Amino acid sequence: MVALLFVPSLHNDYITVTIRNILMFAAMSYGWNMIGGYTGYVSFGNAVFFGLGCYCSAVLSKYGIDNLVADVALAVVVNAIFAVLVGLPVLRLRGHYFGIATLGILLAASDLVNNLDFLGGSGGLALKQVDQAHFWLYYYAMWLVTLVCMLGTFFIARSKLGYAFVAIRENEDAAEVLGISPTRYKVIAWAIGGVMGGMAGAVFASANGFVDPSIAFAIDNNLFPIVMTLLGGMGTASGPFIGAVLLAGVNEILQQKFIKIHTLFFGAVIVVIVVFLPRGLMYLVGLRGGVRRWFADLRVFKV
Amino acid sequence: MQLFWQNLVNGILSGGVLALVALGFSLVYGIMNIINLAHGAYIMLGGYLAWQLFTSFGLDPLLSVPLAFVALYVLGYLLQRGIINRVVRAPVLATFLLTFGLSLLLINIALLIWTGDTRAVTPSYSGANFTLGFITIPWAKLLTLVVALVITGVLYLWLHRSKTGRAIRATSMDVGAAQLTGVRVAHIYGITYGLGAGLAGAAGALLSLSYSLNPSMGEPFLIKGFVVCVLGGLGSVEGALLGGLLYGIVSSFATQFDVTVFGQHLSGTGLQDVLALLVLLLVLILRPTGLVGRATA
Repeated sequence: MVALLFVPSLHNDYITVTIRNILMFAAMSYGWNMIGGYTGYVSFGNAVFFGLGCYCSAVLSKYGIDNLVADVALAVVVNAIFAVLVGLPVLRLRGHYFGIATLGILLAASDLVNNLDFLGGSGGLALKQVDQAHFWLYYYAMWLVTLVCMLGTFFIARSKLGYAFVAIRENEDAAEVLGISPTRYKVIAWAIGGVMGGMAGAVFASANGFVDPSIAFAIDNNLFPIVMTLLGGMGTASGPFIGAVLLAGVNEILQQKFIKIHTLFFGAVIVVIVVFLPRGLMYLVGLRGGVRRWFADLRVFKV
Repeated sequence: MQLFWQNLVNGILSGGVLALVALGFSLVYGIMNIINLAHGAYIMLGGYLAWQLFTSFGLDPLLSVPLAFVALYVLGYLLQRGIINRVVRAPVLATFLLTFGLSLLLINIALLIWTGDTRAVTPSYSGANFTLGFITIPWAKLLTLVVALVITGVLYLWLHRSKTGRAIRATSMDVGAAQLTGVRVAHIYGITYGLGAGLAGAAGALLSLSYSLNPSMGEPFLIKGFVVCVLGGLGSVEGALLGGLLYGIVSSFATQFDVTVFGQHLSGTGLQDVLALLVLLLVLILRPTGLVGRATA
């Protein structure tokens, strides 16, 4: 992470933007990890927070405010409020029903923005032209956002809050008996994750200089963080970052080498990961007993 | 009044094929607890199969329906036995991601074979319609509805009367108990997933009559199928039928929706799915087991 501080001094825009995007996906993965990894509530609509963050920056720019700090601050407030309002009814649902409801929220939000002239509709909104001399600024902003998500996850996981999340994941009824209000803690986790995704969106929109619904609510923004977290290890503080670096790196190389079939490869990579590493890469780190143990653990899932 | 009846008929006509889409999804979901994200890809493959047979041999899409069913049944059975069964007992996210990966693979293979160009199947009756009193009914959509209803009926009888059908339902109730009575679970899972894929393929071939084809055409139907199957109740044939018709009717009437809020004009045609999703959220919150579901679903 510290080494990444020196990237802009290479004065290579391609590398800077690529690594900024990897950092962005890492931040979004941390956002998904909070609800999906720690409380075990698998959300299929977390990109809605990223999209909201994008539109926070765009609306501020529309009113002549082009300030990254203001962008991120607004995204934090808006996402936290949105997450609580939506979370209260939706997080009463359990398991798959929560998943499909979040997917519904994402699709509805995307359709709604598409039809709102105030937000530019399907044509999108242009932000202030990106200042080339201060190109590095956006990079450091994204770096900072990712660092905040990483450290935030690290400290939350070791706090009372984090233990409450894990208790809900392991056994919601038992957690409730222990005096943990499941809905309250789930909404907190969902809101923290939403704020993380929103911050990444706010910085991205300013750096990109343009947003429309297909960019802000892109399918990739929804799926990559899930796959990255699963690859790195759900419910860990380092998993999302490792997963993002690996997967975004692989995707970047595939895109360079096989422009036409890189998505096909991507699908194959996912299939192989799920079949051989259903518990993520962090499982391998903690594995004692070598390959034999690994395959014995895999057989548990077989029918 | 005329508009009301026309909307109702349109809704029922498009609801029939939605029921078929949801039926396959619901079987796989209800019996194996797999959220099958590849379902949309199977619909797309069924559609392209019908298109290929139509352009190469002039075969009527209605005749490709059984062929698409068989081809995708075989594909689904092999995928389940070869890949999905390995992780079928892992947490639900594993099979979710696995089927997502499969879906990416299948869509991109289709993209390589058939390219991204939009295709259409145009038999002689594709644009024709007839009027019943003051209601206009397109032939293609009516035929689609009839075939969808027939398949649903046959499947219902098969699940309840045949030996394999009973084995499938037994497995969905209690895997351990089914195994004890001699049911080969891995094989039954293969058949169930094959049936799900086959139904999607048949639906795809039917859809090719009234929709244009492209490799990602299955996605909106996947989401609608998901909604319909949750609306109706998991793993239930009659639930899928009821949910499909309801979804069709709601989104048909939604096209009439037209309001202006705070100077923002919102028209129903762009928000059809938003309204349908709102109905889903309401049903989920008020009746989490679906319209005909039981508490244990």
